[in-house]
Amino acid sequence: MLPGFAHTRPSTLAEAVERLSAPGARAHAGGTDLLGCLRDRVLAADTVVSLSALTELRGISTTADGGVRIGALATVAEVAAEPAITRHYPALADAAQAVASPQLRNQGTIGGNLCQRPRCWYFRGDFHCARKGGDVCYAVEGENQYHAILGGEVCFIVHPSDTAPALIAYDAIARIAGPGGSRAVPLETFFVPPSTDFTRETILEPGEILTELLLPPPAEGQRGTYRKARIRAAWDFALAGVAANLAVRDRRVRSARVVLSGVAPVPWRVPEAERILAGARIDARTARDAGLAAVKGAAPLGNNGYKVDLVRGIVEEALLALA
Amino acid sequence: MRHPGVFFAPDAGGGAPPPWGETTVVGARRPRIDAYERVSGTAVYTLDMQLPGMLHGAVVRCPHAHARVLRVDTARASAMPGVRAVITSDTPGADLPFYQTEKGPLSRLFDSHCRHEGEEVAAVAADTLQQAVDAARAVTVEYEALPFVVDEERALDPAAPKVHDSGNVIGEPRVYSRGDVASGFAVADAVVEMSFRTAAQLHTPMEVHVSVAQWDGNRLTVWDSTQGVYDLRASLAEAFSLPLASVRAIGTYMGGGFGSKLELGKYTLAAAVLARRTARPVKVALTREETFLVAGNRPSNVITVKAGAKKDGTLTALDARLLGPAGAYPSGSTSAYLIGDLYRCANVRTEATNVFINAGKARPFRAPGFPPCAWALEQVIDALARRLGHDPVEFRLKNLTAVSQLRDGQPYTSTGLEACLREGAREFGWQQARAAERHTGHIRRGVGVAAGIWGYGGDPRATAIVTLYADGSVNLNTGASDIGTGTKTVMAQVVAEELTVPLERIQIEHADTATTKPAPSSGGSQTVLVNAPAVRGAALDVRRQVLDIAAAQLKRPVEELSLHDGAVVAKDGTRMTFAELKELGRKRLVVGLSHRHPHPEGKVALPFAAQYAEVEVDTRTGRVSVVRFVAAQDSGRVMNRFTFDNQVYGGVFQGIGFALSEERVLDRQTGKMVNATWHDYKIPTMLDVPVDPVSLPIDPHDIECNWVGAKGLGEPAHIPTAAAVANAIHDAIGVRVLDTPASPARILRLLADRQRKG
Repeated sequence: MLPGFAHTRPSTLAEAVERLSAPGARAHAGGTDLLGCLRDRVLAADTVVSLSALTELRGISTTADGGVRIGALATVAEVAAEPAITRHYPALADAAQAVASPQLRNQGTIGGNLCQRPRCWYFRGDFHCARKGGDVCYAVEGENQYHAILGGEVCFIVHPSDTAPALIAYDAIARIAGPGGSRAVPLETFFVPPSTDFTRETILEPGEILTELLLPPPAEGQRGTYRKARIRAAWDFALAGVAANLAVRDRRVRSARVVLSGVAPVPWRVPEAERILAGARIDARTARDAGLAAVKGAAPLGNNGYKVDLVRGIVEEALLALA
Repeated sequence: MRHPGVFFAPDAGGGAPPPWGETTVVGARRPRIDAYERVSGTAVYTLDMQLPGMLHGAVVRCPHAHARVLRVDTARASAMPGVRAVITSDTPGADLPFYQTEKGPLSRLFDSHCRHEGEEVAAVAADTLQQAVDAARAVTVEYEALPFVVDEERALDPAAPKVHDSGNVIGEPRVYSRGDVASGFAVADAVVEMSFRTAAQLHTPMEVHVSVAQWDGNRLTVWDSTQGVYDLRASLAEAFSLPLASVRAIGTYMGGGFGSKLELGKYTLAAAVLARRTARPVKVALTREETFLVAGNRPSNVITVKAGAKKDGTLTALDARLLGPAGAYPSGSTSAYLIGDLYRCANVRTEATNVFINAGKARPFRAPGFPPCAWALEQVIDALARRLGHDPVEFRLKNLTAVSQLRDGQPYTSTGLEACLREGAREFGWQQARAAERHTGHIRRGVGVAAGIWGYGGDPRATAIVTLYADGSVNLNTGASDIGTGTKTVMAQVVAEELTVPLERIQIEHADTATTKPAPSSGGSQTVLVNAPAVRGAALDVRRQVLDIAAAQLKRPVEELSLHDGAVVAKDGTRMTFAELKELGRKRLVVGLSHRHPHPEGKVALPFAAQYAEVEVDTRTGRVSVVRFVAAQDSGRVMNRFTFDNQVYGGVFQGIGFALSEERVLDRQTGKMVNATWHDYKIPTMLDVPVDPVSLPIDPHDIECNWVGAKGLGEPAHIPTAAAVANAIHDAIGVRVLDTPASPARILRLLADRQRKG
């Protein structure tokens, strides 16, 4: 049962920014996460600001420079099916296709997929945890089989998005509208680690709206994939995932991006693995070495040590699939 | 486990009917007679009910695993718009005893001592559900949180917090013994001992638990999503000190139960008390999250099994210890039945301990205790067979028995277990699958088998009435609940078989204590085998009367008449429809009534199963996929091949969930359930079960078990599933998965452990 709130559906972006600047306002795109959070009292809203009238936030198109623009209100299903994306940005298409279930992909938006709240069962449940203003992260001593092995500090959530690591692997730019106008940031810097602020997951300030994502033109010899390990084959978040994007010429990797999901509080880029791959040929050995590099510095909690093996396994698998 | 009682009732018309030979309607693949209503949305489930003036209820629940209620403040909630009543333990008429034992009740409807998360503290009725939920949240409760215990092994520690003052161990351990296990192990050539833990599984029926209560003076009517209206009526009559006749329990369309809707819940009492306070009908529906906390579970089990056998494969001894938590109130938590009766073994000892923990009370769940016990026993049998170099199927065949060792060696009316094992192996291609190269890179393939028996033969007391009207249409009246399994359809098929009328001409009245006659609850896999004989008897009673009427009208001996296509046909070809029977027109109806006959004396009628699984294990991700499955089921006669297969698929899929992904997780720091949501409590999706499972009925043509030859199906289709998957995983990766679920995390940990040990 949803708690009471006011609902507004602005017709312009400027109006939406203004409404969202008010305290207690929440943006509503697909609603697949927001409504669940409200129903479960994970967060409160005085006003729900529907973005559904903002048609300029919809659609996927190619840009003048040969890249792709994805409106934040494009559905996850649209991203998964868009020919320009399946052809040139396969890791993103894979990742979108791996999200949740058909119903949720049809309803959920790419912007919402990036801005969704963590799935940590203490955060979602009836526990006054650090991220909700309490003074303890229950995962540290508790049921932490699904929690972070990398980048955990104060709070051990994992970032739930499949599409975020894929977008970062393609150096996507996020455009943000806000009270002070518009700004653009690399998506990699869009997410806030708990070491910076453990009460928020993105850099969005009150009134700010993620409006679009810009993918640079594909590099020569670009190939990519997204591998997602999960308990169920559908309708499940990642135990661990990896987005890999390689530019390959003459069977050698010119540049590489390796970004993990499901193992750290933010999409987790692994420069060590990228360095191993750069200039190398993809074979069993480099794949294994990159897998090992991906979990360097992993600090598992009591019940999530298996994720170390899991990440190694899927990084290896993803890279061998691109060889 | 209750043993079948004996209830002698004369069947109307006298004498047992001859067993069916070839049947035309019974056994056919027929869609459910109410399929259209169910899929088109016109079927009204209890959850859908709207009565004039009906209020909606919501329950205030304890958020702690263990707490004392110090103060309940209802002032703010009572003043909220639309609120008609707020009830607490202080409300007149609300201080009702609950969880009755011989020593008195262990709780009250609203008890100041809350022994598990979600326990009821107060309830609200309001004009709308939104108002009720808002008001329930506005009730302020002050708690004193108490130390808790949510782990069954820790509960045994005398220093552990006590759920009840009497301590955490419920009664004495249940010990069963025959022969002498020590001498049995002494003559064994191989002995295997392993310890297992199965996680708590939740029922998760599609329809949540819901009641609608209404009073008319001192008469109480309750519509309920229940597996048995008669048991519910008895519980309500006791709770409100009313005569049975003053309580009416009604079931409508129902969205499943799996055992979780066999008993009265506090939410139903709350609905009745709220209805009485407000003089309005009140509906109380649990949310999905509430059902996870308070509507039952299959509790976790810790089971150690030791088994010994001779070189030739003969079992010499079985010794088992079982521990299970009932939850916060008494309930069965384990069953050692399989160890005592699945295989022939002279020396058996089992010891079962039942404890309280601070978690929701367990309820019967699809073969209570059997799937966990099968998970343990069937893995130990598998390991023993391998140790001795026997094929696991041959090893099992070597140890079959035609008598029930737990029931004084009484013979079974039929046992198709050998046929299940042999036919199942043939259908599965067991020999070829074992011989084939099964590993490609990091994907390992394996095959496994497990067997099962279900230990309950049903309560034989049931009554059915079949009424034939002057136009040839038929009314079937049975108290049985159709909880979603197709009971109505199967019963209509029985009537159609005997009266030769089309299914469309049969109207069913069921599951209503005011208009139908007593039937046992739809649980224990007994619904068909208990009710179908009574329905057949009642239909035959009608048939006899119709033939007598026709004989008089046609002036022919009754022996020369039979029924065909809804008409009386004489030997010479004379045909007369039911509508043409003058006496039927005059009387307007013919009523047939039958009680079910008692169980056969000195014999035991039970169903058997053998199931085969093939899995792929991805050693990189730890994910197990069940790629092939064959379920060979001796449930006697197949009453409807379509609903039969549905039961088998459902049992297997629920077993795969038990094996691979389902697990109630209780937080060690707070005792609270952390995964009480659809996403985090992982039942399998259609992508997590085999694409094309095989349901293989094995019918031993049992003419002794009852008048229709059917044995139970719902539970035996589920008992060996998880064990078969576990044995297949071992075959694939060479590691025993001792604990459920065999999730990626567990598989990866086991593989890492093995690698560390070299």
